[in-house]
Amino acid sequence: MSLEIAIDRVVGGAETPTAVVRLVGELDAANYLEVIDAGRRLYEDGTRRLVLDLSGLTFIASSGLVALHSLILIMAGEAPPDPENGWGAFHSLAHDVSGGPQMAVQLCGVGPAVDRVLARTGMGRLFLVHADRAAALAAG
Amino acid sequence: MADGTARSLTVDAGVDRLAGVRAFVRTEARALGASEDALVDIVQAVDEAVTNVIVHGYAGQPGAIDLAIERQGPHVAVTISDACPTFDPTVVPEPDMSIPAELRRPGGMGVHLIRVATDGFAHRPRGGRGNVLTLVRTLRARESEEA
Repeated sequence: MSLEIAIDRVVGGAETPTAVVRLVGELDAANYLEVIDAGRRLYEDGTRRLVLDLSGLTFIASSGLVALHSLILIMAGEAPPDPENGWGAFHSLAHDVSGGPQMAVQLCGVGPAVDRVLARTGMGRLFLVHADRAAALAAG
Repeated sequence: MADGTARSLTVDAGVDRLAGVRAFVRTEARALGASEDALVDIVQAVDEAVTNVIVHGYAGQPGAIDLAIERQGPHVAVTISDACPTFDPTVVPEPDMSIPAELRRPGGMGVHLIRVATDGFAHRPRGGRGNVLTLVRTLRARESEEA
């Protein structure tokens, strides 16, 4: 199963420019760069906050975790890890778990399979997780 | 001891083959009686292992990866064979999850996921050149994760 990246809604105005990005399918080493590229384009278009709707994501590999972390860096205006560096991305986890969740990239609709990976790797502590996109958007 | 004939799949070393690998493992493990909990784990572990072979083992060079899946008593076992330089992932140190992620050893997260998703994995050199990695997972849900 491939990955579909759908940008469903963009909130502008006085609030932090926010994009809701829905990932549908399986996020793995074959497509994680597409997610990073989507985040980079959104940042270039002015987006400074992402809500990732993962309700349609049925699988995430460790490379997918690199993509999620890269989105944090991109929304912070930092250079994402070198895509060719792969796992080296974890070297640059400037927003480490000791500082608690960051606010620029938030998750919603996390299913059991994805939640299991986030929990097992400690990556879940980097993100605020909401039940659905409405709750994520209301959280600001 | 295997309980029957192993089902096998051979794929080229490309990340575009990962979805097919996962589908194969998911289908065959289900047919062998794996619980949904076990399916999630064995698919995750195989994906991480095959990704490592493709990205780090063959490293862009063409090659083949052979997979075989079979039931071994209360377990499902997946064997992954390649023709890459010898590398034993079972000796990769466990990442210290209590420290910030940027201080962890790079490359350890995929192996970490293999380790926690399986009930055992073993490596042996393949005759001539290559590696044989065997991943074993109980077919039933783990008690700690059944709730």
